[in-house]
Amino acid sequence: MEVLAGLAYGFGIALQPMNLLWCLLGCVLGTLVGIMPGLGPAAAIAMLMPISFNMDPTGGIIMLAGIYYGAKYGGSTTSILLNIPGEASSVASCIDGYQMAKRGRAGAALGIAAIASFVAGTFGVVLLTLVAPPIARFALSFSSPEYFALLSLGLALVVLFAGESPIKAALAMLLGLWFTSIGIDLFSAQARFTFGQTALLNGIDFMIVAIGVFAVAEVLGSVQARTDAQLLSVPRGIRNLLPNWEELKACRFALVNGSITGFLVGVLPGAGSSISSFIAYAFEKLFSKHPERFGQGAPEGLAAPEAANNADTSGALVPMLTLGLPGGGTTAILLSALVLWGLKPGPMLMQDSPNVFWGLVASMYIGNLMLLLLNLPLVPLFAQALRIPAYVLFPMILGISVVGVFGVAQSIFHVGLLAGFGLLGYAMARLGFPGAPLILGFVLGDGMERALRQSLQMSGGDLGILVSRPIAAGLLVAAVLVLIMPLVGRFNRWRLRGIAENG
Amino acid sequence: MKRRGFLVGAAALTVLSGVGPAEAQYTPSRPIDLVVHSGPGAGPDAFGRALIAAIEAEKISPVRIQINHKIGGGGATAASYIIEKKGDTNTIGLFTSAWIANPLVQADMKATVKEMTPVVRLVIEPAVFAVRADSPYKSMQEIVDAAKKDPTKIKQSGGSPLARDAIVRHVLMSNTGARWAFVSFPTGSERIAALLGGHVDMMIIEPSEAGELIRGGQMRALAQVSDKRLSTFPNTPTLREAGFNVPNVPQARGFVAPPDTPREVIAFYEQLFEKLVKSPTWQKYLTDNQFEDAFLKSEETGKFFDQYSDLMRGILTGAGIRVVR
Repeated sequence: MEVLAGLAYGFGIALQPMNLLWCLLGCVLGTLVGIMPGLGPAAAIAMLMPISFNMDPTGGIIMLAGIYYGAKYGGSTTSILLNIPGEASSVASCIDGYQMAKRGRAGAALGIAAIASFVAGTFGVVLLTLVAPPIARFALSFSSPEYFALLSLGLALVVLFAGESPIKAALAMLLGLWFTSIGIDLFSAQARFTFGQTALLNGIDFMIVAIGVFAVAEVLGSVQARTDAQLLSVPRGIRNLLPNWEELKACRFALVNGSITGFLVGVLPGAGSSISSFIAYAFEKLFSKHPERFGQGAPEGLAAPEAANNADTSGALVPMLTLGLPGGGTTAILLSALVLWGLKPGPMLMQDSPNVFWGLVASMYIGNLMLLLLNLPLVPLFAQALRIPAYVLFPMILGISVVGVFGVAQSIFHVGLLAGFGLLGYAMARLGFPGAPLILGFVLGDGMERALRQSLQMSGGDLGILVSRPIAAGLLVAAVLVLIMPLVGRFNRWRLRGIAENG
Repeated sequence: MKRRGFLVGAAALTVLSGVGPAEAQYTPSRPIDLVVHSGPGAGPDAFGRALIAAIEAEKISPVRIQINHKIGGGGATAASYIIEKKGDTNTIGLFTSAWIANPLVQADMKATVKEMTPVVRLVIEPAVFAVRADSPYKSMQEIVDAAKKDPTKIKQSGGSPLARDAIVRHVLMSNTGARWAFVSFPTGSERIAALLGGHVDMMIIEPSEAGELIRGGQMRALAQVSDKRLSTFPNTPTLREAGFNVPNVPQARGFVAPPDTPREVIAFYEQLFEKLVKSPTWQKYLTDNQFEDAFLKSEETGKFFDQYSDLMRGILTGAGIRVVR
């Protein structure tokens, strides 16, 4: 009842005309920020913070949060249309989203992304409303050994991205693990694999690897294949630009899976939204009746990660609003905005400033609805963009990629790195190495190494800490199961063949 | 550039007060670039933006000041950029203690504050030792005693081995003979989560981060890492008051200019920041964020760099970390 009263109070605030306007402004800006690779929500919010100081804190946080979750809606657009992830959290959306676009279902893919974002975004806010304090306590029971086990499970799921050759997938993953270890090592404060380059001391930004291996490599491959004037076919008629019933039906479970996975992983301060979308994608494939369709343009392979990265935003707000602990870069900036307004984020925020807390939560219901209404009509418009002929489109993709990387790193050295990763991605594609395991290794490897070494620092070097804690042990068992599952399948086929031959 | 600045500066003579007659005047004629080593939103960037906002609110700069991000290398990219900007009087860099400490250990970091021109030191960030609210330890001495009895018992969450929390641990361990584990986490919120979840026993935390968690009944402060007690923690002893005779390891922020910046240019910046430091807007910012006002002019800032490097070099060597310069 307390929750309902709070929510009603919140809607009273969020529905005030000025706050509605701030919410809309935030959502529009967020969508734009999401579409542009290289301009992330963190940077956009930081740039707008000085302007928002003169605003009332409730309106201000409503607008800034709108940018945060709005960016997740926009992020899928370039993933689907151009194979360029607009945000780190949309990388998993490239895999099946772009394949759908290639098959002439770009409009359907954009529509599914918008719908999945809406469903999961709303689901996440409902959970945020109902269970924020207990789930924050659950998140605190996770520490390094649990993170190590969770990330091991994530890495084990790489077998699902393997494609035809598990060996090639494993090699690609190892490459990703190596790249992620470049830079200053947190534990020894020493540089690794930097070859005397100051620019490498901070490691390589994830966006550079993802844009290089996906977008640049794709353009190089298409140019070599002498793709005709038009890269992707766009069917005529508005009807064909929207998802059809079969496609929506295929996404049912993906929406549930993505919503729950995204929220739970989002709550953990120390995971991150790229991880939740990858894990949701892998779960979807793991439990699918048609795993072979993944990577070929399966709608559920797009819906799961898109749902996950939106549910994740509400999840990440849980520790921020209940404990003052931001789970990632963007929530950290939202938190500093609250501080600069003179509010005190922490366990007392809900009591001290109920207008901000409940106003924000209620505005997120409204914002998600606004984003759906904003994004769906844009679908046909964006889909038309693919009618651009290749001799315009390819330079455009390369241009966006270069600008995006320069925006992230602000150095020409990193643009050079982008070219390097583009060539690497191209070579890998030519030799039949899948790109996704490399990205997965890159995303998960860093946190996994850290979690392992933290666990050992905690236990004084005793590996037993990884199996003596129940959550960690459970997750590790799940990881082992995932790893041996394909072997069981193979053994089973071999056994059946044996029976058939003998019988 | 310099000559033109001199002429404009002469015109602005009446605007600036408190200038000795012997010093030539300098006023910048184009916007000042304020170089920070973090991305938008992170610590140094947030500090720089708050500083610019205060300068604008108090109208004490003749030109606009803008943030220039030189991200990477734990400050190395920004530091090399400042060195490259030799001869440019419109660029200053926001230094943190990492600019002084990291090059001591990392051979790849070739740009040191020693080559730059010190401008001012602005603030020192104090810190407190904190435990979970329900922790059995009521004082620093109890924790140290427990650690002495069993070196595997106590764990501290913190940052990199060069960060202030790790350094203070080394100082305390060599002073008391106790040993305890140090678990590195890249972000502050992960360090706090590890403490609140009961996975570690203590941490060193900035008072602005700890304040709300203490008020919300999640954390307790045992001791302060500062020279004198903070107004917000009147009942918590400093380390020295708690009976630990250890040097204070200050975490400082301030500004440096490119190498060989002329004296009159430095004088301009000194005056700009001196006015800022005296302004109510800035004082309020310091109170809100619990920074210690630690204003030093150019010469003293240079001396501070030397003292701090020597202190760090001694501590790091004692802790068995390889020092390269």
